[in-house]
Amino acid sequence: MSAYIDDFPEEAAVIRAAFWSSFVALAIGAFFGLIQTLHRTDIVRIFDSTDYYTILTAHGVFMVITFTIFFLVGVFTWAVTTSLDRGVESLRFTWSWYLLMSLGTVFTAIPILAGFVDSIDMSADVLFTFYAPLQAHPLFYIGLTMFVIGTWLAGADWFRSWWAWKSENPSERIPLPTFMVLTTMIMWYIATLGIAVSILAFLLPWSLGLVETVNPLLTRTLFWYFGHPVVYFWLMPAYLMWYTLLPKFAGGRLFSDPLARVVFVLFLLLSTPVGIHHQYLDPGISEGFKFIAMTNTMFLLLPSLLTAFTVVASIEHGARQRGGEGYFAWLGALPWREPAFTGMALAGLMFAAGGFSGMINAGMNINYLIHNTLWVPGHFHLTVGTAVALTFMAGAYWLMPQVTGKPLASKPIALFQTVLWFVGMTFMSNAMHRAGLLGIPRRTAEPQYEGFEFQAAVGSVAELDAQVAIGGTLLFVSAVLFLWNMLITSFNRPTETLPSNVIPEPLSGSDDSPAVLDNLKLWTLIAIVLVVLAYSLPLASIVDRGGLFGPGGDAFPVRLSPTLVAQLLVDTVQEGLR
Amino acid sequence: MRISRGALLVLIAMSVPIVIELRTVASFVGIEVPLSVTLALSLLVVVALVFWATLPPKQEPESTG
Ligand code: HEM
Ligand SMILES: [Cu+2]
Repeated sequence: MSAYIDDFPEEAAVIRAAFWSSFVALAIGAFFGLIQTLHRTDIVRIFDSTDYYTILTAHGVFMVITFTIFFLVGVFTWAVTTSLDRGVESLRFTWSWYLLMSLGTVFTAIPILAGFVDSIDMSADVLFTFYAPLQAHPLFYIGLTMFVIGTWLAGADWFRSWWAWKSENPSERIPLPTFMVLTTMIMWYIATLGIAVSILAFLLPWSLGLVETVNPLLTRTLFWYFGHPVVYFWLMPAYLMWYTLLPKFAGGRLFSDPLARVVFVLFLLLSTPVGIHHQYLDPGISEGFKFIAMTNTMFLLLPSLLTAFTVVASIEHGARQRGGEGYFAWLGALPWREPAFTGMALAGLMFAAGGFSGMINAGMNINYLIHNTLWVPGHFHLTVGTAVALTFMAGAYWLMPQVTGKPLASKPIALFQTVLWFVGMTFMSNAMHRAGLLGIPRRTAEPQYEGFEFQAAVGSVAELDAQVAIGGTLLFVSAVLFLWNMLITSFNRPTETLPSNVIPEPLSGSDDSPAVLDNLKLWTLIAIVLVVLAYSLPLASIVDRGGLFGPGGDAFPVRLSPTLVAQLLVDTVQEGLR
Repeated sequence: MRISRGALLVLIAMSVPIVIELRTVASFVGIEVPLSVTLALSLLVVVALVFWATLPPKQEPESTG
């Protein structure tokens, strides 16, 4: 019975470093989030609208690449070492993937942030989706590649641990948390092949000037081949914590180990062959392929609903262990004072709302209603922006003490912070969804148009803007409170009285799981077959029509020449005078 | 206290989306609720929740469930 740091002091240091990298990204991301919220709602405009894409790129990349992935490599390291009860095979190797990821992040950040400085001829205003025709400085792609290779090595590290453990425990089942990490990583390997090809074969050579043009639809399709599974890469660590920690906080045990394994296998199989559902409006892909992607997407509901059922059942079990009774009264017996519990529970609740709006996105025909509107950011701030982000913050309230040996600085502030995130997100995301239904576009610095008014069905656009701005501000305050709490915690005095780092055995344990579930080779094979089925024909037809490097078109931004700058200046001045 | 302070905080938070979207739902059936009324209603809900939560617990808990 001891805290994580007592058993694994060296691994704890790596995890701390990963968490802090993640928190720094969160700080930057939240800052830009606030700026752009106030900008697009026309409340305060600090930056020039021409810098909007720089801000939006920084927000997107730091939030969904850096903040999430650095945090999750920490969580995965914790999960594997804890559940196998063995340290990493080589600390030097572990530190090296962490350093590679960090260096990659710095390389990616330089051109993004250089976009703010006019005197540096470098930019990466390509948004976190970075497909052509938007073009970034080569350093952006190089950094991203290093970062992804870092995550590959991290995966190799966890596989190594598992292989070493298996040779000593040949007849045992893979412990559930390790199983979750391994299946997620297999999915990640399959998914990242898409952007590896996109970057190394097309975008990087193109940005270096080695090739004239690329096929924009091909780079888009390769991005989305990766772009859907990446959402599960963010989500699986949150699920891992819901399955392992949440029941523990609630005072009980996970309901079913076999069900949890089935869920992760299903995600491994179904995450990738669905990416085309982000391209329903792309003219170059025929309807039939989109229909297949939609069907696969609807199947993905199954593991999500299984998760909802298992996790809620486990929580209820916990509540009843604590003396909860009645149909609903047991809810009162849950440890709502614990920020780690409350944060995760609220995150799960918001995920349900995000799931509903996701169904609208996923339907081929209703997608046309909301495509590229503010509805879409409304949707994913519920999923990655809350289900994942709030679960990570809540998890940090428990994990940080485990990896530092220091008690949380302030529990009440932590509790308040998680609830504030929920309230802020309610305002922001709700208004974003509604604004999207009116047709207000996303990725737009000034969605206010002369001679045209968006017609609100209820209330007014000004009210929706106000809701977005209030929500965004509350979220920013919440992020600051979180970061402050983490900072003070790191300076706290170590304590001996931390809860012990054990993950309770599920009620229905691994003995009840069919052995085939642990056959990772089989699932990998099926996953690859599904990907080939879903993608070979669409890719072939895209390449067939446009060629690997055609039909091209001009890159954006166009290389700045003095005449172009002069022209832009003249245009701007004329615009201002009108 | 009927429920813990943490639970009260969560209950208040959960009432926010309900109160806001009640206005949207009302408009579907043709009732236009002004913003000021929504604000007043939210305040009322919060006060009511706090009042209920701080009542002394019932002496004999009901055995139904
Ligand atoms: C401090 C809290 C946050 C605020 C105020 C905020 C605000 C916003 C707003 C207003 C947009 C839409 C901008 C537009 O389309 O013009 C946006 C986009 C986005 N946000 Fe956030 N956000 C916050 C937190 C997060 C978190 C926690 C995540 C993910 C972990 C996230 C991920 C994204 C992404 C991926 C985009 C899309 C960027 C793009 O269109 O390329 N945000 N955010
Ligand atoms: Cu998707």
